[in-house]
Amino acid sequence: MGRFRKKKHNASMNITSLMDVLTIMLLFLLKNYSADGSILTNADNLVLPNSESKKKPTEVNLQIAVTQDMILLDNQAVVPTEDARNISQEENDPIITKLEERLKVCLAQEEEMVRLGALNAVQGRVIVQVDKNIDFDVLFKIMNTCGKSGYNNMNFAVMERDDG
Amino acid sequence: MANKLKAPDVEPTDVDLKVFMNLMVVLIPMLIVSAEFASVAIIDIKLPEQRGSQTKSAVTEQPQEEKAEKLLLTAIITDSVVTLGAKGGFMPSLFYQEFHRYITREKDLDTLLEYTPGKMPNHPRTGRELTVHERFEIYLYTVEPETRNIIRSLYTKFGEMLTDADGIPVREVKAGDTVFALTNPRRRMIVTNPGDFESKPLSAYDELKNRLMKIKERYREAEDGEDIIIAAENEVIYDKIVQIMDAARNAEFPNISIAKLRG
Repeated sequence: MGRFRKKKHNASMNITSLMDVLTIMLLFLLKNYSADGSILTNADNLVLPNSESKKKPTEVNLQIAVTQDMILLDNQAVVPTEDARNISQEENDPIITKLEERLKVCLAQEEEMVRLGALNAVQGRVIVQVDKNIDFDVLFKIMNTCGKSGYNNMNFAVMERDDG
Repeated sequence: MANKLKAPDVEPTDVDLKVFMNLMVVLIPMLIVSAEFASVAIIDIKLPEQRGSQTKSAVTEQPQEEKAEKLLLTAIITDSVVTLGAKGGFMPSLFYQEFHRYITREKDLDTLLEYTPGKMPNHPRTGRELTVHERFEIYLYTVEPETRNIIRSLYTKFGEMLTDADGIPVREVKAGDTVFALTNPRRRMIVTNPGDFESKPLSAYDELKNRLMKIKERYREAEDGEDIIIAAENEVIYDKIVQIMDAARNAEFPNISIAKLRG
């Protein structure tokens, strides 16, 4: 009878090594933690170029994303990139009409907010995320359109190089 | 009998870590969600100025003598040449040959291929045409204008170009030579072992940075000594412009504006 009596065992798992792993992970993640969140539009055909720039985007602004096939304004498709390519390169003052209309609406909104006192001044800031394989022609047309619509303060979004 | 120690009655007990585990289990997913593994930075640029392109109405005629004081630094990029212009003159052009590094979608190939404008290369083994999204990086190697031979230069193990005291890239060194690494400001080094340095194709970006730094040293006092205009041809890929902007910023020309080059 005595052979079958259960021995009283204090079953406990040794979790010390697990704790080690978790502590290291916690430290690593805290180091990478950022409170301002990412503004990155993650798309397959939008790869930002690498740069040594260390300047951080300060606040949430209007965003234009230029992929190989679409131009997006605040994540809404506006006009196919092909349309921008089709504007003659000889044009002295190339304007992407649809984009300009949308930008003017945004600027009007900003002005309205200044009038209501929600903003101090019209900043006209825009962050442009351009795929690294876009040619300068399209980029220039977008820049010209932004400038003409009143968005004079442009920033290019780039990926920070991880090595120095 | 005295040397016989009595075994202690208390058994060693673990600290109860369950509470701490709970905390970890909650904290780690939260941090993973908000972690930034690739961080985004921005480049400040000015919109194209009137010079070179842009609206005619904005062109304001400046008095001649005022113009002479200005540096008016311009970097001109076409598909095979980078040229610097300052004070109305031009420096010798930098001819380059473009090499693109491709990493295929299947991750079976990581190769450096010569680029011919307007044409995507084929996969060396399967013959499939590579797409632009597989292009990983663009290298510009300077070449001799006529022979198109690639110019080589020595690099440190940190990838910094070596120049001599006059800022000319060096091709070989002996022990005891004094060389300068292309950092800002330049770092002076005395060669102890020539084997420390590696001979690599001279990157046009590095040579551009080198020349810009020379201009900066000479015209530090200029009124527009922090401005540079980057003028590009229509076909120039955005990535190259960003790299050139990096070179300009490294050489202390932070006010970058972009203009279009009339073909």
